Amino acid sequence: MTLLRQSWAIAGKDLRIEMRGRYAVGLVLPFAGTLLIAFGLSLGPGRALLQQTAPGLLWLAMLFASVLAFRRSYESEGEDGALEGLLLAPIDKAAVFLGKAAAVTAQLLALAVVVTLLVAGLFGLSLGSQPGAVAGAFVLGTVGLAAIGSLFGVLTESSRAREAVFPLLVLPLATPILVAGVRATSVATSGGTGAGSWLGLLAAFDAVFVAVGTLVFEFLLED
Amino acid sequence: MLSRRPEQEDRTGSPAVVLSGVTRVFGVTPALVRVDLRVERGESVLVRGPNGAGKSTLLRLIATAISPTYGTGSVLGFDLARERDEVRRRTELLGHRTRLYEDLTAAENLRFFCTLYGLDAEAVPAALQRVGLAEVAGERVRGFSQGMRQRLALARLAVREAELLLLDEPYGGLDAGAKTLVDDLVAEAAIRGATLILATHEAAPGAPATRTLLVEEGRASEVRP
Repeated sequence: MTLLRQSWAIAGKDLRIEMRGRYAVGLVLPFAGTLLIAFGLSLGPGRALLQQTAPGLLWLAMLFASVLAFRRSYESEGEDGALEGLLLAPIDKAAVFLGKAAAVTAQLLALAVVVTLLVAGLFGLSLGSQPGAVAGAFVLGTVGLAAIGSLFGVLTESSRAREAVFPLLVLPLATPILVAGVRATSVATSGGTGAGSWLGLLAAFDAVFVAVGTLVFEFLLED
Repeated sequence: MLSRRPEQEDRTGSPAVVLSGVTRVFGVTPALVRVDLRVERGESVLVRGPNGAGKSTLLRLIATAISPTYGTGSVLGFDLARERDEVRRRTELLGHRTRLYEDLTAAENLRFFCTLYGLDAEAVPAALQRVGLAEVAGERVRGFSQGMRQRLALARLAVREAELLLLDEPYGGLDAGAKTLVDDLVAEAAIRGATLILATHEAAPGAPATRTLLVEEGRASEVRP
């Protein structure tokens, strides 16, 4: 079985579990919504300020919500030793990383659509000028976030303090994606130029994190 | 059934398991201490010992779920450290944990297992029938009792003809019917020439054994008849 087919099997399994558990709809999405409302209330009613900060708030909500999605991705593996089943299967262990990252990317993209519409409605964020660039920023940003989350999820799976350790590892590494994503979205929604260079930076981050994850995941998974 | 890739190497002349001075330490606690073991192909070895003696560690180490801290070993002719995937392709570990996904159905769990091992998923309905779970094939594992989960884990033995079976307390928590099922699966594996290593703290399991190994405080010794 090729790496692609193995990855597809693992992604399909994760997405099926997610659809059955409705974790994203039941917890991650309400969490992102609550976060956005809290941000909005803390900034006050000034329309201009809300519009100006909307791209940052959108990406912060995505980032914090994605941490929940990453944890869920590995929770199902830890329920009854299922991760050991993946370890003992004679497959390329990079397929576990790629499959998990693909499944989380799909979930985060669905989340991004809802959160973006929420931000557009609550904060008056305009998507009309360069919607392709905004979509590109989210696609590239979620791939990078999913790669980081899938890589470090396995590292913290066996940790007793994983709820605390996981965000401590992931959030600093996700900061470059956060910065590039916010800048690309900000430029694209304000009708400015230069979104392409930020998208290029996001693509570079993706390439690095996906390559590193593919290469080192086996060593993190093995005893 | 497990189909061999043409390029897969066959080392049928080598023993099933060879361990030389294997020690496994968890933190500062030694779980296995300088274990030397040789198991020939087709043997049925019973591993006895009290709880916490190191039986599970021994089986998980042979299955390549964990690595030796010191020492070397090979399984079916493949090095434990350098050829883990070749060992895994030929070995099945039935451990304390069922390795099932709660939000997948019984059939989905088994089909996913088949996908990982490159097996034909057409064997899944018959395997579920064999372990008495055909009627709940489409139900999620989340609603299963512990006994049903263990039966589903046993179905892996029915879909796959592994060359080495490592059974860790396979009778624990099972009713009489399921214990008979374990015995039947073990007997079938023995008939087709598979090597069996069965760890239990029970006095008289139903499985036949050609040798008995006693593990106490991480040290293994042969029990002479």
